[in-house]
Amino acid sequence: MPADSLRFFPPSSIRSPSTPASKIQSSPGMAIDPSARATENDLIREAQQGSRAAFDTLVRQYDQAVLRLALHLTGSEQDAEDIHQEAFLKAYRYLGNFRFECSFYTWIYRIVTNLCLDLLRRRKSRREDQAVMLDASGDEIDLLTNVSDQRASANPDRELNRKFLGERIREALDKLTPRERMVFELKHYQGLKLRTIGEMLNTTEETAKNTLFRATRKLRANLAELR
Amino acid sequence: MKCESAQEIIALAVYGELPDDQSPQLEQHLAECDACRRELEAVQALSKAMSLLPVEEPSANLIARSRLRLEEALDAVPHGSWLLRVWQRFWQGVGRLRAAPVAVSAVLVVGLTAGGYSGYLAGEHAHDAGHISPDLHPAQVDPSLGNIANVSSITQEPNTENVEVVYNRLQPETIHGTLDDPQIRQLLLIGAQSRVNSGVHGDSVGLLADECRAGHQCNGGPIRDALMVALRYDKDVTVRLKALEGLEPYVADDVHVRDAVLEALMKDPDPKVRTQAIGLLEPVEADSSVREVLHTVAARDDNAEIRTASRLVLDQSPQVQ
Repeated sequence: MPADSLRFFPPSSIRSPSTPASKIQSSPGMAIDPSARATENDLIREAQQGSRAAFDTLVRQYDQAVLRLALHLTGSEQDAEDIHQEAFLKAYRYLGNFRFECSFYTWIYRIVTNLCLDLLRRRKSRREDQAVMLDASGDEIDLLTNVSDQRASANPDRELNRKFLGERIREALDKLTPRERMVFELKHYQGLKLRTIGEMLNTTEETAKNTLFRATRKLRANLAELR
Repeated sequence: MKCESAQEIIALAVYGELPDDQSPQLEQHLAECDACRRELEAVQALSKAMSLLPVEEPSANLIARSRLRLEEALDAVPHGSWLLRVWQRFWQGVGRLRAAPVAVSAVLVVGLTAGGYSGYLAGEHAHDAGHISPDLHPAQVDPSLGNIANVSSITQEPNTENVEVVYNRLQPETIHGTLDDPQIRQLLLIGAQSRVNSGVHGDSVGLLADECRAGHQCNGGPIRDALMVALRYDKDVTVRLKALEGLEPYVADDVHVRDAVLEALMKDPDPKVRTQAIGLLEPVEADSSVREVLHTVAARDDNAEIRTASRLVLDQSPQVQ
């Protein structure tokens, strides 16, 4: 067997050309060395005691990453801006609750991912009036998947020619449940570890893993329509 | 390793989540099993396909807009560490109880123990979302207590009317230096964000703009951002004109600056700004997005002179339209 067929790791996500390579930072929190973390903790304490300047500095560490995530997930600058606003306002409000039990990065992302999940759920319920059903194992069944399959096979050529690849990918992602979409986004596009993802979504690494499997299976099925 | 187990962990392997001790077993199984190798290739292909939707960096405009909006919202929160903590405790209380009586008692607490800092006013304004807090004048404070920043604690001696108040004073300081001095620059950036004192705000933007025109250290970074934000959001037209001046040297090289100027050309309410924006865009009038905007302005601007000016710039270039 040729060696390269056994190499597992995926090509890194293609970033848009305007991005300088130095900006690719999937998990800034994870890479912080102990002395930098100590400084950040000082900043947090200062902010908890009322220093707006300290809070502003904390915001600056993370706000671009937050915008990047929200922008890619929602596909909308306006939605990304709203999520940015709500997330950091919430952080400011509830800063007193942060007790250093996890990294500040995880704490902020917990807030952000919850807001993103809320938005994804609102979008889904706006698009379909159908209730989301649960199957025997308690997973959400996406009823819309079946509906659009029928539409595609009715007029496959027109479907394929009409849309660009990027849009097709977004459509495939839209068919995932909000949690599946969130886990896939954090794993594939933002490059976070499943364990971190579990922490952020207030669940276990095992659950995150299973959610990832379901997401990849669904995506393969959805994208297979293309061929 | 059996196929069932292999299939479960192939996705993990593709995403770099396979525990190291499982790796050799998987490799061995894949060496022998075609079906699982196909599964691996399928997951790798999925990963590749999904990567065709690239993660874009947020534009400088989006970042600047978001930051500004956040600043305004945070400004509406009561400042001063003591009041802030009351406000935060209020929200935590709301989060837990979600009961109206909490709101009433929080405002009362703030009102009754206000000390010398117009705390009640601040508490009231905290409920007006998006309301930019005005200059709070501590009307009841003894004028001999100048420059008070906040009150950090109030303790009452039991059974007496004696009260001990611990407060912090603002210590005004002066610094002299040239515009190259990084401390001066930092202070100017803070001044440019000042929403309270418009004279300071205007002067800061003006000086930062002059810095940029002189070519000192303006590429990317906070000074350029501050000028773009001033151009977009400042209510004073002189400040916007100054900001445009400062951005002029960068229109040719920086797409974000160019976009900001294009936006000003299309949306700024003042014709002086729009006219100056046209001037700035002349060196890049060959750029297709610039031409598109110029076409729109030439057709639709309210001001006849501006329509003519846009058309002139368009006609200058030998580009086929």
